[in-house]
Amino acid sequence: MIRKGRGIGCMWYPIGFTVMANPSAATVKVNEDGTATLLTGTVETGQGSLTVLGQIAAEELGIATDDVHVVSADTDTTPMDTGAIASRTTYVTGNAIQLAAEKAKNILFETAAPMLGVKPSQLEARDRKIQIKNFPQKSVSIGEVANRALSVTGEPPIGSASYNPPTVAMDPETGQGKPFSTYVYATQIAEVEVDDETGEVVVLRIAAAHDCGTAINPMLVEGQVQGGISMGIGFALQEEMLFNDQGQQINPNLTNYIMPTSLDMPEIDVDIVENYDPTGPFGAKGVGEPTSVPTAAAIMNAIYDAVGVRIHSLPATAEKVLMAIRENQANGQKQIEGGPAQLPAE
Amino acid sequence: MDDKVRVAEQQDLDTLESLREADADLRLPAVVEPVAYPLETLTPVARQQTPAVGQRAPRPDGRLHGLGQTKYIDDMTFPDMIHAKVLRAGIASARIISIDVSEAEAMPGVLATLVGKEIPVNSYGPSIQDQPLLADEFVRHAGDGVAAVAAVSEQIAKDALAKIKVEYEPIEPVFDPLEAIKEDSIKVHPTASNIYASKIVKKGDVEKAFAESAHIFEDQYRTQMVEHVPMEPHASIAMWDANERVSLWSSLGRITLGRADMARVLNMPVNRVRMIATIVGGNFGGKNELTTEPVLALLSKKTGRPVKGVYSREDEFISSTTRHPFIMDYKTGVSAEGKILARKVRLILDGGAYCSWSETTLGKACILSPGPYNIPNVHIEAYVTYTNKTMTGAMRGFGAPQVCFAYESQMDDIARKLGIDPLEIRMMNAFEEFADSPTGQVLESVVVKDSLKIAADRFGWKENG
Repeated sequence: MIRKGRGIGCMWYPIGFTVMANPSAATVKVNEDGTATLLTGTVETGQGSLTVLGQIAAEELGIATDDVHVVSADTDTTPMDTGAIASRTTYVTGNAIQLAAEKAKNILFETAAPMLGVKPSQLEARDRKIQIKNFPQKSVSIGEVANRALSVTGEPPIGSASYNPPTVAMDPETGQGKPFSTYVYATQIAEVEVDDETGEVVVLRIAAAHDCGTAINPMLVEGQVQGGISMGIGFALQEEMLFNDQGQQINPNLTNYIMPTSLDMPEIDVDIVENYDPTGPFGAKGVGEPTSVPTAAAIMNAIYDAVGVRIHSLPATAEKVLMAIRENQANGQKQIEGGPAQLPAE
Repeated sequence: MDDKVRVAEQQDLDTLESLREADADLRLPAVVEPVAYPLETLTPVARQQTPAVGQRAPRPDGRLHGLGQTKYIDDMTFPDMIHAKVLRAGIASARIISIDVSEAEAMPGVLATLVGKEIPVNSYGPSIQDQPLLADEFVRHAGDGVAAVAAVSEQIAKDALAKIKVEYEPIEPVFDPLEAIKEDSIKVHPTASNIYASKIVKKGDVEKAFAESAHIFEDQYRTQMVEHVPMEPHASIAMWDANERVSLWSSLGRITLGRADMARVLNMPVNRVRMIATIVGGNFGGKNELTTEPVLALLSKKTGRPVKGVYSREDEFISSTTRHPFIMDYKTGVSAEGKILARKVRLILDGGAYCSWSETTLGKACILSPGPYNIPNVHIEAYVTYTNKTMTGAMRGFGAPQVCFAYESQMDDIARKLGIDPLEIRMMNAFEEFADSPTGQVLESVVVKDSLKIAADRFGWKENG
């Protein structure tokens, strides 16, 4: 019989390295026409980080995402970066980029101030213009300012900066300390179907509500959540490296190491929890790793809700779930036999 | 009758033929057809709008992916480029008596071989440098590389591996982490204990709080070893030049530190190493440290040719890092109302043959293991031990999915025992703004309860109850 169940998985996860320094540096150069080039030492590993980093530079300079060309990942040309690890890119590299872009922007403000007859502190960069705060009628295009800075005043609008998250070392005896600058939080709720005759589990849908501070690019956040869930489902139900008694892996191939395909994916509803972290670039934190953290927990709780068995070891393969159901039935049977006279359910 | 059979056979054949055709239609061409670019490339509106933050801006690399034009390492080629393969030990624990590469070197098409002893500094690792690039004295897991071959084709390099003769003196292995942590267990490395890192986090007085608890829950949870399985396996090209400078195109996700590691193992100045990361076809934590880059660099030095090395799927499984299997003991004391008063956790991590990112995984798992809940008394101990298995390292979540499975499973058991709705018990215990974390950190921008409420509303938790 097919039985439905639902379960919650709730989690917290830190951004960046545990205490250890993990800095990023960045350089932002504004070109003659107001477009910009961003130099970063991080690596695009498929998550869309370069797009997000370009958006951060663009936001600080008051230009559009497409106006920023991102150059990345060449140790001969790009500045130091701790890399694509620990869900740190948006937060740590993003902060470095915002600081670098701010420095370039300040040069633009110095150049624009006499053009507009005000002090640099009275200016803001918005919609590809340098304009007077609270008096946007008076403005000059960023391209014009940048060109002037490069070819008239002779001060190219370039900024470089670095960022390292502030932490406090953990006490070796008690572990007390501030190991991370910030954390993110999330909940996933899974609905599953369990066939109590075969033990097979099908994940029907997952509602995922993730905090990432400000979502710099909501579409890419959603992509991360969907990908993380697919990884979480594999961890929960299918994937396992198996070894023989000689310590040799017996399934080092995708025929025998089973992982989720598109056919195993449930319906996913992603919600981005509104939040703003004042320590992040424009309030952003991160989202990469946490998306796959609560999935297995939610699925195991849903299996428990469906068929009343608690899985204590992953993955919950059909064999394991079926064995647990049988054991449960056998125990139930014993209790009925030993208990007060009553008719068995079947 | 015969005709009918023939007709049926004919039909079958037709079906097979049509299936084959359909299959061929579905396959992507091996070489992507060239694209003539339109005069004006459409730029998505979201990429042109200000303010930039908050825009659903498509990725510029998406267009390249869509047109099949993204150049991954395996798509790249250089004049005179050759190919390298690494021989894996296949034995989990042994002393290497001898390695004879002469027959492999004599094969037509083979240009060079490399063994561990030829590597200037044959050890690396992000925190403990306990891993050889190619095992030279001891093999500590079956996926350890013992020798490499560079040849004019990948196939010849692969064939040459079979000609390499390695003599081993087997050593009794240890696979079970609970066996490995015993004092009298076989040691994977020449250390006093197989436990190579540990961490403690404690706050309050758990024993006193257990005594005051209305209910005590004790459970053990275990998780398995899994692989990252990126679509693009580890891949690099090394090019040594006449000025003693080496350039590497690599799938590594951390080039700054990769360059420093390269300079260290090759014993050369950092500015003589250039690392270029291409677009990586999936990382998930598995591409955060060197694998064969220095081996390829030295083969390039030996041959004067660019050398490409791409992992097979089997290499990827048996010799790259994996997710730590955990054994987790949870003891939790709860008040009659469902408030968690105390939690004691012991984590044993199977660290595999080498340290890799185990210290980070251990630390994060330890700190996160009580869950996002206000628990005044915690005592967490975590240990990671060597075993003669594939090394475990960084993988999406650094131990968090493992401990989340444990603390959330027990949370539901607590809810059921106390007759409280699973959503309610979490709302009752969850962190709020300025909560005190297990390490005594005052937490800010905390939205656990919001995430619970939003997910529950979206799911229809109350309606479907």
